[in-house]
Amino acid sequence: MSRYVATRAIRGANAIVAEADVLLQKALKEKGADQAVAFPNTAYFLPVALGMMGHEVSTLGELEPVMTYAKSMLHPIPDSKVWTPYLGETLDSGMATLLAAETIEAIRFVYGEQPEPYPGFQLAGGTSFTSPDNGGEPSLDGHLNGPIDDIQLRSWGIQLVDGRMPGFAAIIGAARSNEAAVSIVRELQQRSILTFLSGNVNGRSIIDQLQEEGVEMGYDTYIVPFGRDTLSAIYALGFATRSALTFGGLKGGQWRDILLYNKNRVFAFALALGEVDDLKYAAAAGAISYGFPVIADTIIPEILPTGVTRYEHVISMPWNEIEGETESEKAKQLVQKCIEVRGVKIQITEVPVPVPYGSAFEGEVVRRADMRAEFGGKGSRAYEYLFMADMDDVEDGKIEVIGPEFDTLDEGGFMDLGILVKVAGRKMESDFEPVLERQIHYFVNGASGIQHIGQRDIAWIRISKAAAEKGFTLKHFGDILHARFHGDFGTIVDKVEVKIITEPKLYAEWLEKAREAYNERNERMGAMTDESVEDFYSCTLCQSFAPDHVCIVSPERLGLCGAYNWLDCKASFQINPTGPNQPIKKGECLDDDKGYFTGVNEYAVQASHGSVSDVAMYSVMENPMTACGCFECIMMVIPEANGFMIVSREDTSMTPAGMTFSTLAGVAGGGLQTPGVMGHGKFFVLSKKFIRADGGLKRVVWLSSIMKEQMAEQLKEAAIREGDPDLIDKIADERDCTDVEGLVKHLQEKNHPALSLPPLM
Amino acid sequence: MALTGLEIYKLLPQTNCKDCNYPTCLAFAMKLAAKQADLADCPHVSEEAKTKLAEASAPPIRLLELKGSEGEFQVGNETVLFRHEKTFFNRCGVFLRLQDSLSADELKEKVAEADAYHVDYVGIDLYLDGFAIEAASGDPKTFGAAVAAVAEKTKRPLILLAATPDLAKAGIEALDETRPLLYAADADNWEAMAQVAKEAGLPLTVRAETLDELADLTGKIKEAGVEDLALDPSLSGYLDSLHKLTSLRRLALKENFRPLGYPVITFPGSTESVDAAILAAEQIAKYGGLIVLDEFDPSTLYALLVLRENIYTNPQKPIQVQPGLYEINDPDENSPLMVTTNFSITYFSVANEVEGTGRPAWLLVADAEGMSVLTAWAAGKFDAERIAKDVKTFNVADKVPHHKIIIPGHVAVISGELEEELPDWEIMVGPREAVDIASYLKSMWTT
Amino acid sequence: MAVEIPKEKWTAQVRKVTIGATSEEGGTRAKTLTVGGESALPFLHYEGSFPNKPALAVEIRDRKPDDWSPLLLDALGETAEDPAKWAQAAEAMGADLIYLVLSAATADGNPNTPENVRAVVRKVLDATGLPIAVVGPGQAEIDNELIVPAAEEADGERVLLGVCEEKNYRTIVAAALAHNHLVQSKTPMDVNLSKQLVILINDMGLPLERIMMDPTTGALGYGIEYGYSVMERLRLAALTGDKMTQQPMIVDPGAEAWKVKESKVGEGVPEAWGDWNRRALNWETLTATTLIHSGANIVILRHPENVARVRKVIDDLSSATT
Repeated sequence: MSRYVATRAIRGANAIVAEADVLLQKALKEKGADQAVAFPNTAYFLPVALGMMGHEVSTLGELEPVMTYAKSMLHPIPDSKVWTPYLGETLDSGMATLLAAETIEAIRFVYGEQPEPYPGFQLAGGTSFTSPDNGGEPSLDGHLNGPIDDIQLRSWGIQLVDGRMPGFAAIIGAARSNEAAVSIVRELQQRSILTFLSGNVNGRSIIDQLQEEGVEMGYDTYIVPFGRDTLSAIYALGFATRSALTFGGLKGGQWRDILLYNKNRVFAFALALGEVDDLKYAAAAGAISYGFPVIADTIIPEILPTGVTRYEHVISMPWNEIEGETESEKAKQLVQKCIEVRGVKIQITEVPVPVPYGSAFEGEVVRRADMRAEFGGKGSRAYEYLFMADMDDVEDGKIEVIGPEFDTLDEGGFMDLGILVKVAGRKMESDFEPVLERQIHYFVNGASGIQHIGQRDIAWIRISKAAAEKGFTLKHFGDILHARFHGDFGTIVDKVEVKIITEPKLYAEWLEKAREAYNERNERMGAMTDESVEDFYSCTLCQSFAPDHVCIVSPERLGLCGAYNWLDCKASFQINPTGPNQPIKKGECLDDDKGYFTGVNEYAVQASHGSVSDVAMYSVMENPMTACGCFECIMMVIPEANGFMIVSREDTSMTPAGMTFSTLAGVAGGGLQTPGVMGHGKFFVLSKKFIRADGGLKRVVWLSSIMKEQMAEQLKEAAIREGDPDLIDKIADERDCTDVEGLVKHLQEKNHPALSLPPLM
Repeated sequence: MALTGLEIYKLLPQTNCKDCNYPTCLAFAMKLAAKQADLADCPHVSEEAKTKLAEASAPPIRLLELKGSEGEFQVGNETVLFRHEKTFFNRCGVFLRLQDSLSADELKEKVAEADAYHVDYVGIDLYLDGFAIEAASGDPKTFGAAVAAVAEKTKRPLILLAATPDLAKAGIEALDETRPLLYAADADNWEAMAQVAKEAGLPLTVRAETLDELADLTGKIKEAGVEDLALDPSLSGYLDSLHKLTSLRRLALKENFRPLGYPVITFPGSTESVDAAILAAEQIAKYGGLIVLDEFDPSTLYALLVLRENIYTNPQKPIQVQPGLYEINDPDENSPLMVTTNFSITYFSVANEVEGTGRPAWLLVADAEGMSVLTAWAAGKFDAERIAKDVKTFNVADKVPHHKIIIPGHVAVISGELEEELPDWEIMVGPREAVDIASYLKSMWTT
Repeated sequence: MAVEIPKEKWTAQVRKVTIGATSEEGGTRAKTLTVGGESALPFLHYEGSFPNKPALAVEIRDRKPDDWSPLLLDALGETAEDPAKWAQAAEAMGADLIYLVLSAATADGNPNTPENVRAVVRKVLDATGLPIAVVGPGQAEIDNELIVPAAEEADGERVLLGVCEEKNYRTIVAAALAHNHLVQSKTPMDVNLSKQLVILINDMGLPLERIMMDPTTGALGYGIEYGYSVMERLRLAALTGDKMTQQPMIVDPGAEAWKVKESKVGEGVPEAWGDWNRRALNWETLTATTLIHSGANIVILRHPENVARVRKVIDDLSSATT
């Protein structure tokens, strides 16, 4: 905590509490202790006093305990020589400031000074204030809004709670120029962020600036002018307090819960425009207690470590240092920063492309005859590469096309293309890069008239004539990716920047980098071991039809459907923390060889509803993992051959087990443990942990030919690793034999190692 | 403690002789472990192995087999308390009770009508399992004649509700070459009834007021040499039925309590002030074995038979609909054509929604081996090739000359491949969920 | 021989949920409805306690429905013309809860409006002292638009609002939070999805005591076995201590059974289906009673006769005299 900030906040608090006290004494004298005090149209009395103290104020006299309490939270201004941690004192001062500010505004209501008169002003919907000047009739004319009434609180509250409104911004002060003021407010408005206005700099308020520029303010435009002084910012915190009371089911006096509710659930921030005086520092300290960070467009000391707020507490982003040619570009950057700091998630509902977009178009094929341009395939190459970067290195929404557009091509022509996606996010991890990168395929395919096949550097994209005629250009790939990554992966991705490269030199440069990354990723995944991680992941996606089945996915054992590896599960958990993939603490390893872990066993008992109590991750003969029905292959012991056969789903032939895949599926599936039989993913065969307890790959005596072909290279490597380079040739397949007798004969002829291993049974 | 397939395998001859009709000893062992095969099917198993395996392989609820002159009926052999744990195996029987106080002609007429009752449920033929004839007259001759009259009109299994040995004998004599269920031995007549059953080699029902008495009796009757039994625990209403039948099922499965490990016969119409249809439905879901109705009313029977089909569906092998081209609301050549899978729930939701729109339409139900759209697609059972094949198999092109086919939105990815497979067709991608069909057709199908 | 009846030892129970608020509780209902609290499988009184019987809700509409079976419309007669009369008729039938379903469009084909919804909710609240549920037509955007004003109009009445689904629950939950109501959490026949949505709703700050779980079920012949088994599994999980499955369950056999051909259509169907009216009544009743056996705490019905019919079964099953 900066001593500078602490000093100014404490000083500001002391001053405003003193001012409030004087004002209250004066009012008590002039109006009497029984004089009614209230904010209009609310059942929450003075909300901050109610929330923080549990104290219901309805008369002037009842304000006295508020002041007593506020005073009790004041602290001496820090000594310039003695350094102490100031956070507690600063936050106390903030709270004292809020109570004092609320007291003052309440008294001003008594004197008819609130809502603040503002001649010539017309609210665009808003608090109907009964004014004596208006013959006692409600009117929207001639005054600012003041506090928000309960009806509007509920209506906006619902939208804040259900996520249609991402959050609210409390702007205090005045912008550098009218243009800047309008730009900032418009940026917020575009993102459906509710905007509250208050405060001034040297007598000039952002409210004045917007009024001059003809911006409508009021409930209808989601821009609410509270008042032209700093004190009226208290209405924002009153709103926040009442939100917690209304939507959090909390009662007055539960101050801690109210502050936590706001910290955890209300995505709000304060934006201090222009010079920050003591009072603003003091009010900012109050906002921090609610978990709302403060962003200033001037130079002030930053408070970066997170703690009280979810993110940084105070951020300085001096206006003249913001990159941008125009005021509106700067405004955009500033608002973007605010959003990042508070972690406000942006919803993009429409994918902004000139062709129809939706999952209905995922399977479209663009034929050569209908094709306008092609990237990848026979004549050219296309690659896509997604990588993460620091928050500050990614400009969200920036989409660049570097090099010629495809309109330079003849009809049906081709060119090289690189798609680079740079993402940043507070929860992003480099492990998620490949998971997200694979999504590019689905996202691009959603556009009508675009066909996408493959991934990495074997991507292949076609754009149809129809899509080109409708105005589809390369830039739209960026628009699609930006929108969809925010929409589908918003929980881990905060910023997305896209570069589309057709310029040959840059294309080649990045291809090189991409390939390095692909290799590095392959190795990283290959090098991951079950020992190197703390958590495995569950997958209960299939419990709908195999109620007691639980898949346990570890780095060295992918899901039995083959579709989910450990990283996929990890990413899926980040994206959907209540979903089907949950981390399982591995716990203590009970048997390294068979792969028993305390955590896995405990989880299995719970998720299988008691039907499975032990799971051996690396054995098929003892407590094998259960299977749902989605397995890519089934392995079964062949006692006569002293080994296992593996049949893949595509293989419809008879097997030495005397059963075809579909009959075997009835034995292996259904979530029951059947020692000797197990469903698994194809690539598990290549793992070092593959039935390690039972002898590993050398125990495989029969393997569907389709698997031998599909994984020829990898199988060979695995065979070398197991110390028997010719192993794969010794393994029979359906072309050699489909019964036990034939199998045994084959194995003897080939001298298969399984025959000389210890007996399985 | 149940043995695993591997443990059972170790006790088998390991010769792969195939005499059990399974390809290998291990395959047979796996089936035994799943209690889906009978050890008796292995002619070579040693006595020692038999003893060891008997405990593990004997079903906790003894199978009861009845035979008519043609039809057969089996009940029992259940292994779970809840159908989701595996499945309920042998459908409980639905029988119709008739009294011998009716004249032979009346009986024949009633039986003929009920015997002819067949109703189609998603391609499954549902009907009554048999008849129970009650010796209301108390006169063996009358009863014998009534049984003969019934047997003349039905070939299905029978239950002889004859409470004395004389009546029972008269009933048995009126039948030949069948295996009816005798009813019932109780504390007073059990010795004589057991004697009759033993002599005729027929299964016998045991009836008592309490489970204690029931267990006593079955023990005695088993000792007297009758092993095939059914239980009548004298139920009185919804709650009594639920409590007693739940206890019986739990005793058999969880405690392996052999004296009560038999199927249960119930008479839902016998309790006054109880809605027989509702009680019968309860007993279908909750552990009834043979349910004897008093009234033949198609509007109730249809509902009960469907409920039984639903409850006894194997949760891992869902009900399938016959693949084919279905007509909804009298379609013509201009009506839209949609395609979906033959998983019953998928079919029902799509068919119901289309029907609800009131618009005529064709629904092609593809043979996706009973899987839902996404599952079938993932398993390769609902791909372009399969749809194209079924379009040809069911001569769809003749019925819909417009050659437009709407595929489920969930499988939009196959639209391109399907175009390849069906070159002169237009592939339209419909909504993902059935509930959106109405609005889809409204906006996309304008003829 | 003394046979010892096997008893299960359950470690947990179903959560209690109360719908409706009397004047002391900030509402205007003459009585409230509490369901849940049982500590054993349905009606097995000998191994647990059952403080609350399963309850019956009767569905009413904001206007006469266009697509209901003529059998239903005949049975309801004039009452279907007016939601207030309908609510009173439902109360007379013996309903424990009035389940008001809002239509997407008004009778003249125009979109339903918040103003109309407020008026209907007010009418129904004034017409009956029973607790009520208010649910939208089942289309996300329209639901949200109509449920918010309904929630506001019924502020403090502890109404059951719905229907929250995985893709659309936030607005309804927010409305429940704002006005002290409850929600119906509906998921498509899957134990894990049921749990997940309860967690998500609870994460928004709505206490578990204000969530009814609707696992969805098909009608007899139309997938009832899925709903049946999912409900049995949820209940078993609840009794063994899985906290997020302990919500009491509400299911809608009325809507399910009355949308199938067996109930809707009287002509051109197989003769073996039997008498139309009796068949239709059986369809709704048997769907309802079967679901009650698998753990339903509230079943929603449509036909007046069936309310009495199912009530009798529940009363018999709930009397622990045997």
